[in-house]
Amino acid sequence: MGEHVLLYILFAPFVGALALIMVSNRQPMLVRGIAVGSTFVSLVASVYLFYAYDPVKGGFQFVQKFEWSRQLGISLHLGVDGIGTPLVLASSILLFTGVFVSWHIKDRTKEFYIWLLILAAATIGVFMSLDLFFLYFFYEMSVIPMYLLLGMWGSHTKKYLEMTDQEGLKLRDSVGFIFNFGSNSKEYAAMKLVLFLSAFAVAALMGILLIYKYSGLDTFDILVLREQAQLMNIPVLGTTLDKIIWVLVFFGFASIAPLWPLHSWSPVGHAAAPAATSMLHAGVLMKLGHFSIIRVAFEILPETTREMMPIAAVLCIFSIIYGGFVAFYAKDTKYVIGYSSSSHMGYVFLGMAALNYVSLSGAVIYMFAHAMATGMLFAMAGWVYDQTHTRDLPSLGGLSNKMPFIAGCFIVGCMASIGMPGTVNFIAEIMIIVGSWNKYPFQVIIAVLGIVLTMAYLFKMMRGLFYGPMNQKYSHAHDAVATVDRLPLLVMIAVSVGFGIFPMHLYDVVRSGVDPLIARITHVVPVAQTGEELGARGEAMATLPVGDAHLVETTPSPFTPQASGRPE
Amino acid sequence: MTFNLAISFADLLLLLPEIFLTCWLCVVVIVDFACPRIPQERLAFLSVAGLLATLGCLAWFDLSHVSGALFGNMFVLDRMALFFKIFIVGATALVILTSVQYVDRFAFFRGEYYVLVVMSALGMMFMASANDLLSLFVSLEFSTLGFYVLVGYLREDLGSNEAGLKFFILGVFAAGLLAYGISLVYGETGKIVFSDMAPTATSGTIIGFLLIFAALGFKIGAVPFHSWIPDTYHGAPTPVTTFLSIAPKGAAFAILLRIFFVALATFKPVWVFLLVAVSILSMTYANIVAIAQRNMKRLLAYSGIAQIGNLLIGLAAGTKMGNDAILFYLLAYLFANIGAFAIVIAVGQAIGSEEIDDYSGLNRRSPFLAFAMLLFLLSLAGVPPLAGFIGKLYIFVAAMKEGLYTLITVGLINIVISMYYYLIVVKKMYINEPIDPSPVQISGTMKAVVYVGLAGTLVIGIYPQPVIDWVVGATVMFANFAGPSAVVTPPVPPFGG
Repeated sequence: MGEHVLLYILFAPFVGALALIMVSNRQPMLVRGIAVGSTFVSLVASVYLFYAYDPVKGGFQFVQKFEWSRQLGISLHLGVDGIGTPLVLASSILLFTGVFVSWHIKDRTKEFYIWLLILAAATIGVFMSLDLFFLYFFYEMSVIPMYLLLGMWGSHTKKYLEMTDQEGLKLRDSVGFIFNFGSNSKEYAAMKLVLFLSAFAVAALMGILLIYKYSGLDTFDILVLREQAQLMNIPVLGTTLDKIIWVLVFFGFASIAPLWPLHSWSPVGHAAAPAATSMLHAGVLMKLGHFSIIRVAFEILPETTREMMPIAAVLCIFSIIYGGFVAFYAKDTKYVIGYSSSSHMGYVFLGMAALNYVSLSGAVIYMFAHAMATGMLFAMAGWVYDQTHTRDLPSLGGLSNKMPFIAGCFIVGCMASIGMPGTVNFIAEIMIIVGSWNKYPFQVIIAVLGIVLTMAYLFKMMRGLFYGPMNQKYSHAHDAVATVDRLPLLVMIAVSVGFGIFPMHLYDVVRSGVDPLIARITHVVPVAQTGEELGARGEAMATLPVGDAHLVETTPSPFTPQASGRPE
Repeated sequence: MTFNLAISFADLLLLLPEIFLTCWLCVVVIVDFACPRIPQERLAFLSVAGLLATLGCLAWFDLSHVSGALFGNMFVLDRMALFFKIFIVGATALVILTSVQYVDRFAFFRGEYYVLVVMSALGMMFMASANDLLSLFVSLEFSTLGFYVLVGYLREDLGSNEAGLKFFILGVFAAGLLAYGISLVYGETGKIVFSDMAPTATSGTIIGFLLIFAALGFKIGAVPFHSWIPDTYHGAPTPVTTFLSIAPKGAAFAILLRIFFVALATFKPVWVFLLVAVSILSMTYANIVAIAQRNMKRLLAYSGIAQIGNLLIGLAAGTKMGNDAILFYLLAYLFANIGAFAIVIAVGQAIGSEEIDDYSGLNRRSPFLAFAMLLFLLSLAGVPPLAGFIGKLYIFVAAMKEGLYTLITVGLINIVISMYYYLIVVKKMYINEPIDPSPVQISGTMKAVVYVGLAGTLVIGIYPQPVIDWVVGATVMFANFAGPSAVVTPPVPPFGG
């Protein structure tokens, strides 16, 4: 492995997809075997990556660079820092578990796995791209498989199939079906998702092209651009260019995050998607948004970020509250989890908006933690749907007798989602809340209320699914007994609890990515982390322009390496 | 002016591909008449063999950098001309392969079909080399002549007759405009060779060039000269539609590049404005109208108009990089379009329909065809990792360097609009259930064409560097082209253009 580990992680799923093309659809076990094999390679490689990443050294490691187009200034430049590493790990865990969660898909099994592998590989590609072109390339590449996964293996209400438009045509065949808001069909969800995300992606592309033009460097390389691009103070349309680029990039990528009011594609998409797709979608696809904002806006436009990030601090309140309330009143299991995801993504935006070491680290850890928690919940909602063929909460209930294992795991999933101590979500939440308090006390109060709200709707859903009187219609439902059915849940629980109890390495890795970034943006040196203590990383940061020396951060972190007494 | 018609053997070498193809054409005609019983497939493969030999010859020219000019600069053979000739000959060979089964539908003149196709290709090869107004007119009409017959080839079919008639009347009208424009330009400047022209801004030259542009706009089907396209594409035999949607576009772009960058270099600010307007109209109009289409050929017709709008963005950039991007995009368009039309032909053969509704459940009937069609449509829409995405990005980067912000914004919005109608087809193929679940069979030659399209779409999309090197070398003649804009226009205000 060693130096090329990123290539293994990225290309193992692609190779798996290519191999699947050659295999016959009549051998479902071979198809699943190939899918498991390729994702396992990816998983092992990313576990290796996670532990081989050296947080003391920091910066971008395992860098691979291949020239791709001289004339356009594009190279396949891969590398991970402390922010990308945990997200790569989360992606490959969810991909690996996703293969098992979709074990029972009978219809066009081979094609399902092909698109799932391409989706996940493209997502992983974004997390390791150090080139704006490839960042966009993989980002857009991850959208199209979603269309097919939702459309072909998704679910929608039966009533929809009989609906007709004014001309008497079947609604699902009508050209204007996309304007039929409120229809709960998989076609609608898939088309809305792709158009919505593509529309905002091209806005981000416009921002990227503007960066390319005005930097004048003829390159898409993020590392070159962040050092050399001079984008500040160019007057345009009554404002400055950097603000326009920032807005394009921020909202372009925030649509997938999804930040309120750009969230409407997301719950519809979650609801229609098959379980494994929902997992990947909520678990990692949504993080593409935050990650790309960090990679593009934070890295290349640090000054503008400091100036503009309050926008996110305002919008994240709506994300948290709106998502929470809709989740509370939703009657569809997947809508509950979908809106809960978009509510929880508000916390990540809050952590990002506060722009300090603790809150941004918290935001990154939250992305990782949320991937596990929401992955579990979607996997179990998918299991319940497969058994009962309904997602309607009022008609379900009392399933804990039939599926005790699932019910037990569901409790753990809820605890993780709420942020109970002992899960990694707790660490992330507390860091966001502690880190943001100084800057945004009002938002923090809202966020804490949001946790209460999360508790309310998740407990309501748990009661609705597993307790109370059982509907006899679903007496045939059975538990997850086979290893392939239990394995994914156990893996995700183990990761969530494991990092909840031993967060140190995760924290170190994330901090090593966050520190230089925050230092660039805020010109603040992290407390207790100056000079030689940090070794190479400290030296790298010492060269950064430290403007206002009196702004040394005062918020103590509960997890600074010193506080834990760990030698660096 | 005087023509030097003394041709040496070395000069003839420059014409070797054309001369060879002409001779081969005669061979095909003779074989067709001498052996009336010969199966038409043999003629098809005979024509393809000739085209492949020509392709080899052109590739040899390109690799050994053969170049030169003939007949007092009327005919030039530079690397750009070679690029377009390779494009045209390659497209023609693929089109003939897609026609093999289709030609059985023709009641008469099956052999002549191939002759006419190759003859049109020959005319377009001359177009790629045309360097003055006379050879422009002659070669353009020469290539269109074959198409007039081909479009109406289904004699029993009213749609085909209507298409032929529309195409003929509007085509002759465009020819009239072209002739009138040429006469005006010649009257004002006294020159016919592009490079000698150096026109001044008199009303005669302006109107003359506008008329020439209108005629070429008709050829490429840019809005507002597009009205013949949907009906003609719909009615014509599908292989002819395929041919019509690819090869003439390339040939016309060769002419457009020479006119704008050689003859009209001093008028750059004027024609940039013109091209921006035509490009915005083409993309927006075609993409919106395409949404309502229920026939696959009409959908691809409108999609083709929109693609022309994209290509015009590159032309409007008015730089060498823009021209590289055009050449690159044309290649991406060639592979995606030939593949998509090949599938339309194959499905048309198998289920006898070209309606989008009849593509329902194609994924269950033929996973290979559905997957290939998906990739071709996504390449046309510009989705990574396919060739169309790199092409679009290349064009946008070139236009961005010139600060054409409005145009790029419109282009980006149009990507999203176009994605909608391409995905509607994908929805039918993948999500809807088939009405008749019997498998769709596909012949070997058709499969070969689809494979070539897939290979081109994927390889160019994943590793474009060799192709980029090729197109950059092909437009080396524009290397020093700065145009007057660098001098005339003040530093472009952002978001102004």
